Amino acid sequence: MHARKKKYRGGHNGGALKNIVVCSLVIFFSAFVVIPIIVVFIGSFHQWNPLKGEFSFLGLDNWKKVFGSDLFWLSMGNTVIFAAIATSFRVVLGLALSSALYSKLIKYKSLYRILYYLPTITPLVAVTFVWKFIFDPQIGLLDKLLQTNINWLFDSKYAMIAILILTIWKDFGYAVIIFLGGLYSLPRDCYEAAEVDGANSMQRFRWVTLPLLKPTVLFIVITSLISYFQTYIPVMVLTQGGPGTATYLSSYLIFDEAFTKYNFGYASALSFVLFVFIAIMTGISFKVSGSTQTE
Amino acid sequence: MKKKRNLKLGNVVDNGQQKKFRISSVILNIVLILCSILTILPFIWMICSSFKTNAEISALVQSFLPKKIIFDNYQNVLQKFDFLRYFLNSLVYALIITVITIYTSAISGFVLAKYRFRGRQLLFTFILSTMMVPGVVTIIPRYTMMQQLQWLDTYKALVIPSIFTAFGIFMMRQACTAIPDEMLDAARIDGAGEFRVFHRIVFPQLHNSVVSIAIFQFLWAWDDYLWPYLVIRSGDKQMLSVALNLFSGRYSTDYAGLFAATSIAIIPVVIFYLVFQKRFIEGVSASAVKG
Repeated sequence: MHARKKKYRGGHNGGALKNIVVCSLVIFFSAFVVIPIIVVFIGSFHQWNPLKGEFSFLGLDNWKKVFGSDLFWLSMGNTVIFAAIATSFRVVLGLALSSALYSKLIKYKSLYRILYYLPTITPLVAVTFVWKFIFDPQIGLLDKLLQTNINWLFDSKYAMIAILILTIWKDFGYAVIIFLGGLYSLPRDCYEAAEVDGANSMQRFRWVTLPLLKPTVLFIVITSLISYFQTYIPVMVLTQGGPGTATYLSSYLIFDEAFTKYNFGYASALSFVLFVFIAIMTGISFKVSGSTQTE
Repeated sequence: MKKKRNLKLGNVVDNGQQKKFRISSVILNIVLILCSILTILPFIWMICSSFKTNAEISALVQSFLPKKIIFDNYQNVLQKFDFLRYFLNSLVYALIITVITIYTSAISGFVLAKYRFRGRQLLFTFILSTMMVPGVVTIIPRYTMMQQLQWLDTYKALVIPSIFTAFGIFMMRQACTAIPDEMLDAARIDGAGEFRVFHRIVFPQLHNSVVSIAIFQFLWAWDDYLWPYLVIRSGDKQMLSVALNLFSGRYSTDYAGLFAATSIAIIPVVIFYLVFQKRFIEGVSASAVKG
């Protein structure tokens, strides 16, 4: 802290340039983040329909409806399960493949890296369409490869699995790249010491790599959880929440209530719950990662 | 177990270990190749199918490669649905957003890194914390705001809420902190004003971050779906990703056409990626260092 203060002692007060930038930043982020959150909060106590121009005070009704709604609890449950599974696969696949790529036994490392990262950079909506066809029971690739006859997107047992498969396929490459970067930044002498002590590769991974990589693992876990809590595009394109309510995720429920039913008040209450939920999750994650860093 | 340990001396062991290495090398390579195939299979299947006829796509017995390569699907799609127009819309939109955010991120990062003023740290923390707010949470008020400003169905509604990005400001602040104060002071002594210091001294040194932000911002804008879907009403102003959905709703049985349409949306991005792949991978690693 002290060093930082010293570094800026030569700093300039900035004059007009600083004032313009600071004012624009404050105005912009207030207008598009802070005020919207306040409006969502106020709107949640109102009967609010933008098509009819309706905005009348309702009290706690929307909130009662949210917490009494089966669909809300179901979507929260779905979201948590979805986020947990998708994050686990991303971390495990990322760790396994990056360790494999890190090994001296592998040639063409950069080629593998390029290929694994390819799904992550391709546009999600378009890629989701491709997967819609892959899951199709008539023309689809997946049933042909697995020799099965599953109607992936219209069978409530499999629809969520389908969305998970797409998500895992799309995102694992990012974890591989990040973990590989983490592996390359680890001190080599730890490995040499472990090797001298006769640790085999599994033991080295468990007792040397994993503890050293912990900050990177936490980074992936936190960012993945936060982004998976907000997933809705695959649901919009593949299943629209169906079959029945099998693939309702919280963000999709908000979209559905707001922009297909135009229940802005009710959707605002849902949005605020999601906001608080993610804020709490983020807070917990930072606590956890903060405490491991000071260890 | 003990026997094995003892064997680890001498030449015999070397042979054994070499064999073990070779086996694990083969296994590792097989796993990695298998994963690569699974990763790119959807793309290859998409491209192959876009050259097939509808009859061939839905035939009972299928081959992976098209029997005869036809370009009719692409022609049909471009005639039926003005994909070229949507493609250009997306391209122009993504380019505009990218250019604007690079500039605003750089200048904000510079101000937050190099000037001393009260509340600087607070402002920076506040900007970072906005990254944690899910987009879908604020979408209702932002939509009504656009409605009240009568910006719906104009590009203002797309561009203005994206002028600043917290991610870009964060990256640029990191980059600006690395520029020595002495360099700026030297320019000031030579009589340069603050705007000149930024444009002539600071900005040219930020090219690495400019490239990283450009790549990500461009892809994010190209991928934007929900916001354009909500605020743009007229067909001819729409973005490619939304048009894809409209097309699939209208021509849901024209599989071949849909494959061609998705290829149009995906292949340029893939080429862009393959050309700049080194920059991409550096950029991701750089953006994660904060962890």
